[in-house]
Amino acid sequence: MRSSLFRGGCVLFSLAALVLGCPPDSSASPVGEIRIADSKGDWGYPNPYRHYPRGPGYIRMSWVFDTLVWKDQQGYIPALAEAWSFDEEKLAFTFTLNAKATWHDGEPLTAEDVVFSLDYFKKHPYRWITIDHVGRSEAKGPHQVIVYLARPYSPFLSDIGGTMPVLPKHIWESVEDPERYNDPGAFIGSGPYIFRDFDKAKGTYLYESFHRYYQGRPKGDRLIYVRSAKPLISLTTGQVDLANIKPDMAGLLKRKGMVTIKNERGWNKKLMINHRKPPFNDRHFRQALAHAINRQEIIEKSKRGYAEPASYGLLSSDHEMYNPETPTYPYNPEKARRLIESLGYRRGPDGYYLRDDCPLTLELLCSNITVAGESVADRDGEVIKGQLESIGIQVDLVNMEQATTDSRVKKWEFDLAVSGHGGISGDPRILNEMISSQYGAGSVNSARYDANPELNRLLKAQMFEMDQEKRKDLVFKIQELHAQDLPAIPLYYPDSLAAYNPDKGITWFYTKGGISKGIPIPQNKMSLVK
Amino acid sequence: MRRGRYIKHLAAYLLAGLIMVYASYRLPRLLPGDFVTAMYASSQVTLTAEQEKEIRAYYRQSGDFATYLVNLCTLNWGYSYAFLAPISRLILEALPWSLLLMGGAHVISMLFGFIAGVEAAWRRGSYSEKAGVGCMTVLEGVPEISTGVALLLVFALYLGWFPAAGAETAYAVLSPAGKVWDMAHHLALPLATLVMAYFPGNFLLTRGSMVMVLREQFVETARAKGLPPVRVRYAHAARNALLPMVTRFGLRIAFMITGALVVETIYSYPGLGTLLFNAISMRDLPLIQGIVLFSSLIVLFVNLALDYVYGWIDPRVAYAS
Repeated sequence: MRSSLFRGGCVLFSLAALVLGCPPDSSASPVGEIRIADSKGDWGYPNPYRHYPRGPGYIRMSWVFDTLVWKDQQGYIPALAEAWSFDEEKLAFTFTLNAKATWHDGEPLTAEDVVFSLDYFKKHPYRWITIDHVGRSEAKGPHQVIVYLARPYSPFLSDIGGTMPVLPKHIWESVEDPERYNDPGAFIGSGPYIFRDFDKAKGTYLYESFHRYYQGRPKGDRLIYVRSAKPLISLTTGQVDLANIKPDMAGLLKRKGMVTIKNERGWNKKLMINHRKPPFNDRHFRQALAHAINRQEIIEKSKRGYAEPASYGLLSSDHEMYNPETPTYPYNPEKARRLIESLGYRRGPDGYYLRDDCPLTLELLCSNITVAGESVADRDGEVIKGQLESIGIQVDLVNMEQATTDSRVKKWEFDLAVSGHGGISGDPRILNEMISSQYGAGSVNSARYDANPELNRLLKAQMFEMDQEKRKDLVFKIQELHAQDLPAIPLYYPDSLAAYNPDKGITWFYTKGGISKGIPIPQNKMSLVK
Repeated sequence: MRRGRYIKHLAAYLLAGLIMVYASYRLPRLLPGDFVTAMYASSQVTLTAEQEKEIRAYYRQSGDFATYLVNLCTLNWGYSYAFLAPISRLILEALPWSLLLMGGAHVISMLFGFIAGVEAAWRRGSYSEKAGVGCMTVLEGVPEISTGVALLLVFALYLGWFPAAGAETAYAVLSPAGKVWDMAHHLALPLATLVMAYFPGNFLLTRGSMVMVLREQFVETARAKGLPPVRVRYAHAARNALLPMVTRFGLRIAFMITGALVVETIYSYPGLGTLLFNAISMRDLPLIQGIVLFSSLIVLFVNLALDYVYGWIDPRVAYAS
């Protein structure tokens, strides 16, 4: 009786495993279907007003809506505008539109649509772009549009030309509340793919190729996003064709026939400092912290070597305006101690610093933030705590979930916090946003540092400088001053990789400077178009 | 007399319900952080002070408990900040997947755990019983996260038999039978993880209850009457060992959301656990409130139902109360 029960159980389990374990014939991807994995799944509906304000949300919209210009591995390329020029005297950009461009509903795309989009975004702000610098725009014939700037604005091409989705006037002119507008018309664009479905519970998206796309019919007939927190398994089992991966997965995936690609250094982990309170409001103390932190040790212990030390000037060392002469702070505990002692601190009997009998104790906040909207548990906080304590600073390490850490940083309720952001290989406007409160007061990653008038002046000037060489000089100086003042300490650039299945005949790539405003995700629509 | 008892009973549940509604209103508000900070923290959009103020004003909602209560009673559960969709719709979309996963796991683990527990108690002292109790005690201590990851590694990564994520092949063109088969294929690993988590507890509980019941005189009487052993075990003894299992089943169903959170996250399964996880990470206050309230009401409802089921299974309970 017992053995028959046991045998019966075994047979039942084996049958279930065999039957369910065989992959279904009909679920195999047909040719022309592309599947992309995403650990989170939901990034909002793919239109300008309903996608989440993060890179993956913008990417989902970018399949549906085209911009005037776009970027690939080399830099800017034509999109809806096949040519463009800038008249310095008139402060005007002229865009010549591709005459073949049409909307998904068959209506022709004209210069009037571009003029309408600029006006509509002025009335109903789309926060990815800054429209304040645009004076007016006018259509010169069906395929030419001139955009007059109200004042010089150097990031125009990046912020507006390469980021602003052009809207169909015949649909949006009657829409008064774009945030709540969710009719099928809300997803009619001019991009290579037509939006078909978004399942909120499952975090899946379905797009179908737009056969009459003006740059040629896209390669995949169907583009599907699926939620998967296990990219390694999803790739190897053929569930998906493209996924972001962790660096240590690369070897195994290569052996399984996948192609791995590595991004430029476009995201940096940094140590936020509450520079509004003592002793952090003293530049020398911040410099002492920089000397006390051994970034190579953090990389070895926390990232297992998969990272590179970041530039103290904040801009990526891959950026064309990166200043190689930016001051550095080599690991030097002795120098760190000297700097701290020059501020009146003395070592107590337990080896920790004291001033006026008060111990030098600080709180370090940590979370799991990392590149491309992902999260990863690392040991950054532990390593930094060990390094600071070794020179005599007591550290209370507090590990928290990211939203809680961000909230405390935003309210200045912290001493030090490990945080990070991307955009540092895109337009240098990121320097303004991540340094100055005038540009980044609403951000949790911005140092919101206004104590250096010269730095403030340079930041403002670089936004108005239309001459790229002159702008480069300004950006060089900004990096130097950032490295001297250290309102935050850049730590490292984590390796950012993706892997894809080459059998589909598609070459995925990371975009130079990131897609749009610097999105470090290799889902550039040009991979499926050209 | 009897009517008065029912009214008291109902009043107690209503009071508990009101406390739960208040907890669902109050607790999510104690979470540090807010939607705007969570949404824009890792954003490519860097907000200026004015923009932030404007967005916060857009998402500000009434802090009044009375308004919250009125909205609930008029079935206005609110609108999710992140999904830009009605809360009730979001919960109803995720619920079937949670029911399929959790309900399936509970029914399977209860049924087989009960049978295995009865059989083990009947064979008390044998090697198979001792081995079974030993194994199940160890398995009872293994958390779902370990089992889930181990099953993923073996059956998805190395053997490649099962998919690693999702509840079905997204947007696959399949026949109705193929669709059912595809869902079962995706369900296999998360279901196995949960069954492995719940089965040992059910087994041990049933075995423990059954060992006590088998000592009772009525079981001896049944044996002495010469009834077949299967009938003695199930018709006479096992029925009396069922009550703790029903309690366990009810409580587990009540914790449907939190119970499946880990497994749903590991397998990217689209249930209420995943929805709650995303809502909390985004600080989507209306959605958190909705899910917390929904799960609280399930706890209440299941407890109420259990009161009556007890009486039906074991008339002594109804008689005593």
